[in-house]
Amino acid sequence: MNSPGELLLIALGLATPLIFAMLGGYASERGGVINIGLEGMMLSSACVSALVGVAHGPAWGLVAGVTAATALSLLHWLATQIYRIDQVISGMALNAIAAGATNFLNQKFASGASSVVFPELPYQVLAVISVAAVAVVATRTRFGLRLVAVGADPVKARLAGLNPVNIRLLAASATGLFTGLAGNYLVAETGVFTDNMTAGRGYIALAALILAGWRPVPGLIAALIFGFLNALSIKLQGQAVAGVVLPGEFWTSVPYLVTVLAMGGFMARNRTPAGLGKF
Amino acid sequence: MKWRLVALIAGCLVVLAIAVAVAGKSPAEALSTLLKGSFGTTMARTGTLQEMTPLLFAGIGVFLALRAGLFNIGIEGQFLLGAMTATYAGLRGPGGPFGILLAILAGAAAGALWALPAALIKAYRNGHEVITTIMLNNVAAAFTTWVVAGPGKAVEAGSPTSANLSPSLAIGHIDLGGVSVSYGLLGGFVLVGLVWWWLGRRVSGYEFRVTGANARAARAAGIDVSRNYLQAMLLSGAIGGLGGAIQVLAYEHRFYDSFSPGYGFDSLGVALLAGAQAWILIPAAGLFAVLAKGGTALDIFGVPKGITIMVLGMVILVVAAVRYRREATSE
Repeated sequence: MNSPGELLLIALGLATPLIFAMLGGYASERGGVINIGLEGMMLSSACVSALVGVAHGPAWGLVAGVTAATALSLLHWLATQIYRIDQVISGMALNAIAAGATNFLNQKFASGASSVVFPELPYQVLAVISVAAVAVVATRTRFGLRLVAVGADPVKARLAGLNPVNIRLLAASATGLFTGLAGNYLVAETGVFTDNMTAGRGYIALAALILAGWRPVPGLIAALIFGFLNALSIKLQGQAVAGVVLPGEFWTSVPYLVTVLAMGGFMARNRTPAGLGKF
Repeated sequence: MKWRLVALIAGCLVVLAIAVAVAGKSPAEALSTLLKGSFGTTMARTGTLQEMTPLLFAGIGVFLALRAGLFNIGIEGQFLLGAMTATYAGLRGPGGPFGILLAILAGAAAGALWALPAALIKAYRNGHEVITTIMLNNVAAAFTTWVVAGPGKAVEAGSPTSANLSPSLAIGHIDLGGVSVSYGLLGGFVLVGLVWWWLGRRVSGYEFRVTGANARAARAAGIDVSRNYLQAMLLSGAIGGLGGAIQVLAYEHRFYDSFSPGYGFDSLGVALLAGAQAWILIPAAGLFAVLAKGGTALDIFGVPKGITIMVLGMVILVVAAVRYRREATSE
């Protein structure tokens, strides 16, 4: 059995992609754009990171991964802001395009070799620092305040002279950066890409964001709790807790179940950005 | 706005052409492989019709919820629960036609039950159904994996699967010149007709559509919007579960881990293509079935199957750009 300290470190490791993706979701949804495409953005970054990483080293892998995620994020911006496609539908479509494209690229270009990767610790530190940075940007800078205003009420924001579409463009770039880091980190753990390797982490990150009431620091805590649950489920595989053996699938489901309860308003007051999904 | 749509379609086609070129094939060759793989032989045609069945049922489920203004992404989970419950009901229950009926009802009930939390939260707490159903999908995947790998695993099986159902529980098929068409698929056609009749010809169906078109206006007109939301999600879930049950009884005859290769997701595309017209569900499900079945042939030909999933995503984007546009909010 590991010491509690080690367990916490494992938890931080498992939470890191969730933290990055949660911040990506924050940038998008605070500006009023529903984003269920986080999963696809992470996935595309992971795939491109691994493929470019093998050929040109981890630095180019990172750059390429972030670029891929940003491209998808900008596509979401284009689809929802310029084409005004329903935001949920656009997110679903992006996830499909990412799942298909990564399968395609991986089958065509994967050499079977593992990429040289960066160590994981800097990512974990960066994730925590990013939360603080996002919190400061959102509450202390002109851009952050404008983003929150646009997300709260795009119509009034427009009357106040803001252009929601432009502000969301910058936010979408931030979403690309963070989901790109999240996907790149997954490759930093394994060195290779496998089909659907994000395995629902984008949705768990979304769950963390919702549970946290769309706030960065509580979002960090929620992501850490989910990471800790995940670490526990690995540790407790087949072991009895208070006399009952709970299957691993139960622990996997906890974040999702808690989120359903939260959506029912059973956890705390509703903090959904008022303009979420509005144009 | 028209040129933007043209630009979107052109962009999609360029991406696909590049992908096919990267795979080292010509687009014409790829297309003909896709069509041969789905229509070329009687076996391919039988397979395409089989692929079409779950897509049609799940598509009807999504379509119905969409008509009431709800986006039931949870159809995947409801399909899984329906398939699993129908399997175990079939294993424990009687054989013959009565057993089939029992398994179908059990599957539909399980699907509705799985949609219930999302339905209640949408109807009475105004929690977004997209989020709750995404979460419930993940729970469904974990739950069914656990059942089929643990308490419900067939004793002699090496992989996570249930035991096989008795042959007397198989839904039959008719033979059309070598192509076998399951009664399950024909049942799907009947269901499309029922849905069309109900939405278009009954007062409750009309209330349903008004709720979807404008919930505020519906409320002002005295329609119980919450009840319609509840009804929409439960009906949608029941049809998803029914689709799972049919898949088991007509084709698979057992339940196993990762039972659905994403039917739930594809059916969202089917329903979006259908828009407001129930009958379009049938050709839409057919199109997606062709992509699924032909994708396997493409894979063998050397173009990874992922390209068909990309096509699905792009079709959804283009259709949504035409039909599901957000109007600017005005208070």
